[in-house]
Amino acid sequence: MRTLLLCGMAAAVAFSTPTLAQQELVINSFGGSYEKLHRKLVITPFEKKYNVKVKVVTAYSSATLAQLRAQRTNPQYDVAHFSGGLEAVAAKEKLLGPIKPSELTNYKDMYPFAVAGIEQGRGPVYSVAVIGLLYNTKSVKKPPTSWQDLKRPDLRGRILITDAASNTYGMLGMLMMNRAAGGTMDNIGPGLAFVKGLLPHATLISKSPEIQQNFAQGNAWIAAYAQDYAFTLTKAGLPVKFIVPKEGAAFAPITINLVAGRKNRDLAVKFIDFSIRAEASRGWAIGLRYSPTNKAAKLPADVASQVVYGPAAVKKLVAFDALKIGKERPKWNEAWKRAIAK
Amino acid sequence: MSSRSEPFWLLLPGLLVLILAFFWPVGELLVTSFFTAPQAGAPPAGTRASAGLANYAKFFADSYYLGVAERTFRLSAITTFFTFLLGFPLAYIMARAGPRLRFWLIVLTVVPLMTSVVVRTFGWLVILGRGGLLSKVLEWTGLSASPIGLMHTETGIVVAMVQVLLPFMALTIMGVIAGIDPKVEEAARTMGAGFFGVMRTVIVPLSLPGIVAGSLLTFALSISSFITPTLVGGVRLPMMAGGIFSHITGSLDWNFAAAMSMLLLLATLAVIVPYAMLLKRRGA
Repeated sequence: MRTLLLCGMAAAVAFSTPTLAQQELVINSFGGSYEKLHRKLVITPFEKKYNVKVKVVTAYSSATLAQLRAQRTNPQYDVAHFSGGLEAVAAKEKLLGPIKPSELTNYKDMYPFAVAGIEQGRGPVYSVAVIGLLYNTKSVKKPPTSWQDLKRPDLRGRILITDAASNTYGMLGMLMMNRAAGGTMDNIGPGLAFVKGLLPHATLISKSPEIQQNFAQGNAWIAAYAQDYAFTLTKAGLPVKFIVPKEGAAFAPITINLVAGRKNRDLAVKFIDFSIRAEASRGWAIGLRYSPTNKAAKLPADVASQVVYGPAAVKKLVAFDALKIGKERPKWNEAWKRAIAK
Repeated sequence: MSSRSEPFWLLLPGLLVLILAFFWPVGELLVTSFFTAPQAGAPPAGTRASAGLANYAKFFADSYYLGVAERTFRLSAITTFFTFLLGFPLAYIMARAGPRLRFWLIVLTVVPLMTSVVVRTFGWLVILGRGGLLSKVLEWTGLSASPIGLMHTETGIVVAMVQVLLPFMALTIMGVIAGIDPKVEEAARTMGAGFFGVMRTVIVPLSLPGIVAGSLLTFALSISSFITPTLVGGVRLPMMAGGIFSHITGSLDWNFAAAMSMLLLLATLAVIVPYAMLLKRRGA
């Protein structure tokens, strides 16, 4: 009996050793419809092509950055996806590792702005989100043309504001409202006053599925959010359109970054290279209307009209200095929380 | 092994786990709370740059954070009160019921505890949301003209919290009431006390230790509650635990988050420790 037990234990130990296991890559993704498409375009094909296992942790950028800081001495991610310029903060803190252009086979196909910082640890931009205004075309008779239109009396009670403290898109929306109200990155007072004025007539949300929920329930007719999300809502059957207000729309690059200090760097770089290939770039545009950053991605005409296509169009977007965002964010978060608290 | 050192060796594994998993991390947190980063958000978070009570001063000097603390304690007190109102009758019925009924009542009370609190809270999101079950009932009965919900309101937070914490209150009180000899109640009845008279003069005084224990447990769980107040209350009604989380992941000001955590721990201890000392004095 005892020998049987010992044999059983030995067998259990033998089978649990990693010699038979596949190589594993740990990444973060953003959940919901984004993660679904992420798996379809990149994660699952990558797993098949290289016969590895990719472990996906659903975490927005701020939470991922917090985790990387906590795990500085023993990072648990191999690749980190960031939006809202947080990669600049992470790279400055040496949480991300540099990549040489020669290590990426798709390097030559990328727009220069998309690969500008890879040698300093700021990973390539693999898609661009545009933050502007989404509105329900059936309920809003007069289409909005400006950020100031959020103040329109006919839209009262139907406005959605995204929390700037926990959501980078919300932060960029707040910065655009600030810009339209006359503020700057050093003084977000006008932006906060603008938002405070909207609050009695608005619902505050923090996660993207809440936007869909509110639009579907008829609770919201207009929101400051991303162009790609307008497409998600139309796919769900809602009559939603995205517009670039006359003061501009925010440029929100989404980057894929190499985490420093991990053992499987080679596999991680392969994953990054796989993520920026033309096929993926095209897939993001067709699937969710993210704007492509790979020159070789050819889009059908109807898709091209719903994204920002080409370097000239990208130049028209308002870009906020990522390092400045990183520096000011804690102050902005404090001020924001005070402005929205009841 | 002498019989005098035996208890020590038996306690050792549990003690080690407690030290490694609780006292050490909390100690680290305590130390972190006394430092401030050279500049907010600068790496690495939790850095030991300048020592002092700056974080605590910041908390108490700021009406925003005092408001967060006030909301936390106020809603927790209200939650504890309503949990008691619902839990006491439930506990009495469970204690005095026949074996079969008691069994099913206990199962009904305990089963929610086995479900993740996240799942239970999402259930509330569906019921309390605009267009949800509560909204439909209010509209149907004519109490409300348009779809209305309790989401993102303090009332909603209390409702959800009461449901989540009810098992703790009910089971604690039930245990005590079950220990009260039914003959004592019968004796009071024969002396002429009505049902509520018996409650007031016999059951409540005798079950007071259980009521206090249940209330303290509910209060302590309520003030440190994170998921339910955050999901139901939303970002405009911040409470302590949500605020700590926001500072760790949003502002990345871990020193301040550590200070807030310490204050929350102190508040919990301030509630539990006097009770424990009182019990010891009574020789319980």
